[in-house]
Amino acid sequence: MKTHESPIDQFDAEALKELRPENQLGKTALVLAAVCVAAWFSNIVNGSPLLDALPGMLILYVMVIIGLVIGRICPFYLPSVAWVSLISIIATLPFFPGNGWIIARLAEVDFLAVVTPVLAYAGLALTGREFAMFKQTGWKLVIVALLVFTGTFIGSAVVAHVML
Amino acid sequence: MDLKLLLDWRLHLTVIVTSMFAEWVGIVRIPLGPGTLLLLPLLYAFIIGVLFNPHLFSAMGKVIPKPVSNAAGPIILIAILPFIAKFGSTIGPAIEQIIAAGPALILQELGNLGTMLIALPFAVLVLKMGREAIGATYSIAREPNIAIISDRYGLRSPEGIGIMGVYVVGTMFGTLYFALMAGYIASLDILDIRALAMACGVGSGSMVAACSAALAEAVPASKDELLAFAGASNLLTYATGLYISLFIALPITEWMYKRLKGSRQEVSHENS
Repeated sequence: MKTHESPIDQFDAEALKELRPENQLGKTALVLAAVCVAAWFSNIVNGSPLLDALPGMLILYVMVIIGLVIGRICPFYLPSVAWVSLISIIATLPFFPGNGWIIARLAEVDFLAVVTPVLAYAGLALTGREFAMFKQTGWKLVIVALLVFTGTFIGSAVVAHVML
Repeated sequence: MDLKLLLDWRLHLTVIVTSMFAEWVGIVRIPLGPGTLLLLPLLYAFIIGVLFNPHLFSAMGKVIPKPVSNAAGPIILIAILPFIAKFGSTIGPAIEQIIAAGPALILQELGNLGTMLIALPFAVLVLKMGREAIGATYSIAREPNIAIISDRYGLRSPEGIGIMGVYVVGTMFGTLYFALMAGYIASLDILDIRALAMACGVGSGSMVAACSAALAEAVPASKDELLAFAGASNLLTYATGLYISLFIALPITEWMYKRLKGSRQEVSHENS
């Protein structure tokens, strides 16, 4: 990194902290509504018509909000994604009241259709900094990164395969 | 971040149209050697998103102005949450199978140390990289891992540059790479498909999504079970990943780096 205005300067721990969705619940609730609408429409093609999928989308919305609120008030740090995940697991456990209804409503929401808009946002969100950084780090780090991803995947898979 | 930018209708409408188009194209299967490459709608959605990105093509600033594109960054973190909730709902109903697979599930977390096993020797011995290699290979370089490197070395150190490089590559191609790799390895039929599902849980929402979706498409019959295993493994990584990478992965990487550098210097010494 030769120049003083390196792209990394803008990426400090402060910025990461501000990005955590549980720190600004009001804003997050509104943005969450917008992204749920995007997922709701994306779901029409291979999932269900709008009205059939509405209860399921609302359940997902409420689960996320509950998870974020817990993440906000919890005294120790666990990423908000972990809380959202836990809430959703608990609500669908066999002994949870109404779990059958929740699972049936969520079945109207296609698994892949919810991810598709996330990647569309990701493509739109790449910054000049990231394009520049990508050119700077060059092909060596691309190869290393792909080996890193391959390594963790194969490593975990082999351990799990032996244990199963 | 300004709320007006976060709720900009052009951004969300572009995403809706893009997603619906990508979903309409659907899954494409390409035979390759002994296996099959799976192209998922999320891949097309990402590529179309990049094509609309005003930072890459300034003409696109008319559709999505640059400030709106910048606002999309924090939106990704929120957009992944409904998906995480959907994911969790596959774990609850499968809780008995998951408990039965408990030991495998817990021990495969150690497989996340595999990040440096191939990548570090390659980076040091073949690419002749310096301490960047430590930051680049000790983890899969998501936000919690960056926080550790930032705390320990600072982000402008060689280690910091290494991890930021992998972070950026991961942001740009990680999801797509996981989808292609997982689908392909599954189609080779060497490792237990449930083991592959557990391996998907690397601690990144979009990577686990792409990875497990590809597996579910490769073996549709056991879709629910696979999603449950991947989700459970990912949740474990969220809970333990920070501590494993700080107390185990980073010291091991430092140690391996010293050994690799040492052996390389000896070799070059003998040659001279």
